[in-house]
Amino acid sequence: MKIGVQTKNVVKDSCPLEGFTMLKQVGFSCCDFSLDVYLKNFNVYQNRINDFFSAPLDEMKEYFAPHKQAAQTAGIAISQMHMPYPNYVPGGTDELNEYLRSVVAPKSMEICAFLECPYIVVHGFKLSHYLGSEKAEWEKTSEFLDSIAPAAKKYGITICIENLYTGLGGHIVEGPCCDASKASKRIDEFNERYGAQVLGFCFDTGHANLVGLDFENFITTLGPRLKVLHIHDNDGISDLHQIPFTFTRTRENTSSTDWDGFVKGLKGIGYKGVLSFETAPVLTAFPNVMKADVLGFIANIGRYFTGILL
Amino acid sequence: MHIRRKKIVEKPQLLQEQIGDFLAKAKESGFAMSVARAPYLSWDTKRTNLNNTMQQLAEESIKICGQAGCRYIIIRSLFSGISDIWETNKQFFLGLVKTARENQVTILLENQCRNVSGHLVRGICSDAQAAAEWIDRLNSEAGEERFGFCLDTGVCNLCGQDMYEFTSALGTRLKAVILRDCDGHSEASLLPFTCVSNGSVQTDWLGLIRGLRDISFDGQLIMDFSDTAAGFSPLLRQQLISLAKSVADYFKWQIEIEAHLKKYSSIALFGAGNMCRNYMKCYGEKYPPLFTCDNNKSLWGTSFCGLEVKPPEALKSVSDDCGVYICNIYYREIETQLKEMGIKNIEYFNDEYMPTFYFDRLERDEE
Repeated sequence: MKIGVQTKNVVKDSCPLEGFTMLKQVGFSCCDFSLDVYLKNFNVYQNRINDFFSAPLDEMKEYFAPHKQAAQTAGIAISQMHMPYPNYVPGGTDELNEYLRSVVAPKSMEICAFLECPYIVVHGFKLSHYLGSEKAEWEKTSEFLDSIAPAAKKYGITICIENLYTGLGGHIVEGPCCDASKASKRIDEFNERYGAQVLGFCFDTGHANLVGLDFENFITTLGPRLKVLHIHDNDGISDLHQIPFTFTRTRENTSSTDWDGFVKGLKGIGYKGVLSFETAPVLTAFPNVMKADVLGFIANIGRYFTGILL
Repeated sequence: MHIRRKKIVEKPQLLQEQIGDFLAKAKESGFAMSVARAPYLSWDTKRTNLNNTMQQLAEESIKICGQAGCRYIIIRSLFSGISDIWETNKQFFLGLVKTARENQVTILLENQCRNVSGHLVRGICSDAQAAAEWIDRLNSEAGEERFGFCLDTGVCNLCGQDMYEFTSALGTRLKAVILRDCDGHSEASLLPFTCVSNGSVQTDWLGLIRGLRDISFDGQLIMDFSDTAAGFSPLLRQQLISLAKSVADYFKWQIEIEAHLKKYSSIALFGAGNMCRNYMKCYGEKYPPLFTCDNNKSLWGTSFCGLEVKPPEALKSVSDDCGVYICNIYYREIETQLKEMGIKNIEYFNDEYMPTFYFDRLERDEE
């Protein structure tokens, strides 16, 4: 199985080859291209939009050409990417939300195609508080997905929805796409309607851990709809994006995240995708001089999972 | 109300004796017992040999319910030391049907946590759809409606669950709700609305109330604040219990908010701000008010959300079967004002837990 990790905090625009080479040297063969760093979520929520996505598409492709070339040179496949998020800001200006829908999202699809990346992860809209139900919330997400699904079909890209969370007085509770049965039905409906695999799922282990999802059951329910992963760990309280097996809660010091359920689920469905780690924050926590060591350790965990899964 | 937990010995035949005094005192005080909870194992138990004991304890508990005239009993599913969860629990629950029938007791399954090395995650019956299927299958096998569900809000909170979706999926199978608060990370039974951070509640009360309204819930609301009660001085216990009763009444009122609107043949509102706007968004079409009124003279004669804004004096001309709903957080001041005017049928409206919300709030609001 292939092992991947985010490009965030590794691959720099000034010299992409350096970062991709490091990834290859420490044992990765794939990467999750962090397109979201070019329009950061906390800025979007505050209506502070930079002009990165306003550039003409040709200029954007020119901007990312060195990244594409460097990944190829280093032998790293861009196996998945993350669209900037959120795609909709409740209470945001019409201008902002229209920009996210009609500029950021379609250009993200174009960049995804340009980088020859088969999967793009998107966040569903967080609207159930306002609209009253998850169903009403999904209808809005669905409208958004319909706006980018034709491009997905055209380029052979699968858009992956991800299990998310939302906050309630600092307590993390389930957000969009935390019901595997509903997600599965919706994915099937989309793909049938488009006659192509335009929609799939990204299972995020950290988000699942925060809202106590049953990993094995969730993955089993998704089955072949599970296309990509965001593997990371936390204490069950905050979205820390740390290295798997980091957290314990008892004196026995065994992992408080259900990694057994995770691998059982993947093995059960015969998952053959990339084991991709979403652990960029680890790299800012450790001293910079240890970056290669830390990435190598993460890759080793990937190999450990691979050993069980194969 | 559930204010104290009791540890029991592992001898089912002694259960009756152990709680005999409690039952006698409850009866003496005129307390009717509507729901009971059978003894259960801690989620972090390492004992795997207690399932027979749990079966006997459940049997005994049902018999005690029968004697006490208690209609419902909450019995947790077996989880320790079993591999086929459904088959084992099917046998367990169906084994209780005869006794439950004889004692006219309905067995309520409950959403449970699973302990992953100290981290409580979703366990048995914590998937509402699966829980609903269990109940339907058990009832089908029992040949009668002998099983229902009790939703534990504390478990939902520990597992970060959307309580609207949970209650909606259960529908009429939901017979009881345990109202308890916790911080979402550690097991606790605290008085609802007491787990707060940065001025915001940490439990999905909005989802719960929306869901219970949608399914027209009229079952048992069980207050479980045993940890809060343990933390308070006995000197304050009476006031705490009064507060808990008010909280329970508040939940009931919120759940039944639409039923209150049906009480009158017509409705008039007091207040022309966000609360009035929210009323019109969620209930204006179904229960259209005659008009609204406001103390702000500058609004008189204007239109707000399709309603004419009149002076409060206009309320004197409404019919006797018109309800006057205060749509302003200064409830008591306005209520006093209206009573002094001789207005009848004064009711409170509240928009804290609306079915839907606007993305924005009006800036000119003076509430």
